[in-house]
Amino acid sequence: MSGLLTIYAFDELWNLSNILRYGLMALQHRGSQYYVVCTNESNSLKCYEDEDIDVAKKISSHVAIASTYSYQTENLFDVKKSDGYEIVAIVDRPWSAISDFTSALVVSLKNSRNRIDAFRNIIKTFQTDHSVSIPSLMVLTSDREVFVWRGPQGFTTFALGSYGFDMAIAASESVAIDILGGDLKRFLGCGEGVYISRYLFKTFSTDFSNGCSGVCLFELLYLSRHDSIVHGISVYEFRKALGAELAKYLDREVDVVVGVPETALPYAIGFANSIQKAFDMAFVATGGRRRSMLASDPFEKIVAIHLKMNPIRSSLEGKRIAIVDDSMVTGSTMKTVSQILRFRVGVKEIHLFIASPPLVHGCPYNVMRLDVQNLLAANLSKELAKSYLEVDSLHWLSKGDVDRVARRFGIRFCGKCFGVDYFGG
Amino acid sequence: MKVLIIGSGGREHAIAKLVKRSGLEPRIFVAMDYRNPGLEREASETGGKWFIAPTTSPEKIVGVAEEVSPDLIVVGPEEPQFAGVTDALRDRGFTVFGASMRCAEIEKSKVFARTLMWKYGIEGRLYFKAFTDVEEARKFIEFAGDVVIKPARQAGGKGVKVVRDTQAYLSRDRAEVKKSYVEKLFNEMSSYRDIDYKIIVEQRVEGVEYTAMVITDGDTVLPLPLIQDHPHAFEYDTGPETGGMGSIQGPGWVLPFITDEEYRKTIEIVSNVLKALVKEVGEPYIGAFAGQMMLTGVWGPTVIEFYSRFGDPEASNLVPIVESDFLEILDRAAEKRLAGAKLRINEEIVTIVKAVAPAGYPDNKHLASSHPISIDEARIRELGCETLYASVEMRSDGILYTKGSRAFEIVCHGNSYEEAYKKAENAVTHISTLDGWPLFYRRDIGSSELLEDRKRVANRVRQVYMARAKNGLIGKILVWVPGEGILENPLIGFVR
Repeated sequence: MSGLLTIYAFDELWNLSNILRYGLMALQHRGSQYYVVCTNESNSLKCYEDEDIDVAKKISSHVAIASTYSYQTENLFDVKKSDGYEIVAIVDRPWSAISDFTSALVVSLKNSRNRIDAFRNIIKTFQTDHSVSIPSLMVLTSDREVFVWRGPQGFTTFALGSYGFDMAIAASESVAIDILGGDLKRFLGCGEGVYISRYLFKTFSTDFSNGCSGVCLFELLYLSRHDSIVHGISVYEFRKALGAELAKYLDREVDVVVGVPETALPYAIGFANSIQKAFDMAFVATGGRRRSMLASDPFEKIVAIHLKMNPIRSSLEGKRIAIVDDSMVTGSTMKTVSQILRFRVGVKEIHLFIASPPLVHGCPYNVMRLDVQNLLAANLSKELAKSYLEVDSLHWLSKGDVDRVARRFGIRFCGKCFGVDYFGG
Repeated sequence: MKVLIIGSGGREHAIAKLVKRSGLEPRIFVAMDYRNPGLEREASETGGKWFIAPTTSPEKIVGVAEEVSPDLIVVGPEEPQFAGVTDALRDRGFTVFGASMRCAEIEKSKVFARTLMWKYGIEGRLYFKAFTDVEEARKFIEFAGDVVIKPARQAGGKGVKVVRDTQAYLSRDRAEVKKSYVEKLFNEMSSYRDIDYKIIVEQRVEGVEYTAMVITDGDTVLPLPLIQDHPHAFEYDTGPETGGMGSIQGPGWVLPFITDEEYRKTIEIVSNVLKALVKEVGEPYIGAFAGQMMLTGVWGPTVIEFYSRFGDPEASNLVPIVESDFLEILDRAAEKRLAGAKLRINEEIVTIVKAVAPAGYPDNKHLASSHPISIDEARIRELGCETLYASVEMRSDGILYTKGSRAFEIVCHGNSYEEAYKKAENAVTHISTLDGWPLFYRRDIGSSELLEDRKRVANRVRQVYMARAKNGLIGKILVWVPGEGILENPLIGFVR
């Protein structure tokens, strides 16, 4: 997964170096293995890539686009030059056509006075030529212009914000705007873009035939921070609502409700509030927050899980426990948790509640890296899963449940990996 | 009645339209810096005449006035007031609506305005520090925190640097910008010979802004309805500060996000300032006066700055709503017999003004200038909207050209914001450049989306100021510096 960030300071006095770094830091939970930062240096474009967030400090200009990813791969950004005119595009996920895209766009922009039409026209040709979805992207030109554009299917989002009279900010998540001291203004719709230059700032739409598939459910389920706002929806409130929905599947007495740190905590709070039981802290992480699900290396992933799971024994020992998690992909986190709860703590019962439906397909759009052969729900029966995970009961939200909550919040999600086209209206 | 209007822009065009409807059979004469075809038309349609003259030259304007021999002169913009045009005209015995040079000091010098508020203990005042010396300012700014840096003299509504500095992790970066900006601003301000203080550093506040305009003869204060301007160049309150990209008004005397009590308080502040000003300068204030206000958590109604004239584009909102004889009111104010005057407005409707500007505005006047531009006024009129000509000039080739600032203001009204918004959005499409140069305007002005956002922000700050009032903290910001004690100085930053 990835986080994209544009900062456009209208006043040349700003040096974005440190500001860009803090902006990226606010998006680090979306991936922190690989950073790309691009800027204008005198009359040319310059891009830097690195595993370290400090790469942002190489920026000294007042305009920059940057991204952070959970893994490094090809086709995440591309620079193209044409007779001294230069552009760079950064995308939110690997895009095999990126080089063709920038080649076409650099020519179109160079030869056209109407900047937005030039961009729109190229998007249009890629819409018809490539049935595969175009990712959300940012383009920076050597004339210090920026295009920020949300892909037509709308899997990922863009929040727009500003800092006083001085900056326009666009980010994959609203928290980056908060952390930079800016004000959140609005969200881009599917296929909507914004053009920013020194003297213009215009939002525009692009024609798209496929239509909006909706936001990837994992944005709200797992990826975003609790303090983010996604399309006007508080991530925290949404998570609590799913947790409350899940509580209806509780069919026996439990002593305590806990959540797997730390994404699942609001779900557990919503669940506990709904059944009027205590929500308790259960685990404490070591070495800061790590996103185990985003780790690409299986060993790294298990290390991340182990480090975030030191149990608070007093709240768990000898008790009947309802444990809540946002989703279950491979089940390795839950397996680890149940082993800790059983063997290291000694609990009486474990009832596992998952705040999303079973994951049964890979992601056809390459937004989430889900390998169907690793998906627990796609390969194991419920009984087998229960035995493997060593839990006394196992519950998922139904597709209908998620659909209902999505409608209540007025949002549509892509649900392909859960076996439906979309959730919500 | 012969009326001479001094000024060249959209505000003067709005004044002309308001005056034109009078029952006093007005003949409108205009002295303007360039050929504004809107003003030209109002003059010729009323049997008046227009003159091209430098509006900041007392001598030239007196010359025009002597030729016209008007019954009333209305001085529109602030710069002629600063330059002594109003005083020169009064000295010659003309009846003039417009602040004198000494009264206009309230707009010209931010230091004078702020000092006046502190001296007379007027509510809604902010902490500030002013500088004549760049070194001193640089040293101060090093340790300043959450502040606004402004030119100490009115400079076309621009040059304000708002540096929200509430995050220590970015305060060093912001301090760098503040320091560079102080130097840059000192350089720019050095060309103004008419002030001592060059820059002013103020406590930063946030909330919703609105303009409270009044007409006064120095004794009587006649309030106008509240209007909200939109200073950011671009949509969603993004981008550099401008003179105003549009404004909204109505229904009635307050805005949907301001309470009657806040309106009352605002007018009280504005009236108190006028009283203090008259006392301080020893001259009556005759003309329009306005408080650029902000509803903040610190004070509730808070003064950002003052205008010694009608706001631009705020004056444009008055065009569809004023029902009284506006010329009569201006004339009564100019003759110091405003007492008893009533201003009737159409309280049922709302008005939306949208300015259309060439790309380059506001920071690169050169880029934004000299683009041929056309407008289909008939179509705009069909929509029920009015066109005001602002920074556009008719050249000898019979073509309109941009002058670098906001070219046109479109004034629309309706029974609801939705209705007025639809008209305004439609109307702006009838303006285009002939050379393909990009124009911009703000789609969001008057939209329900933005209005809802204003209400949210107003509610938030309302909660804050009311809680602070309850705790006896209204207007106060306390800082504890260990070893020094409790200070009232919100200008201090994290970096010490």
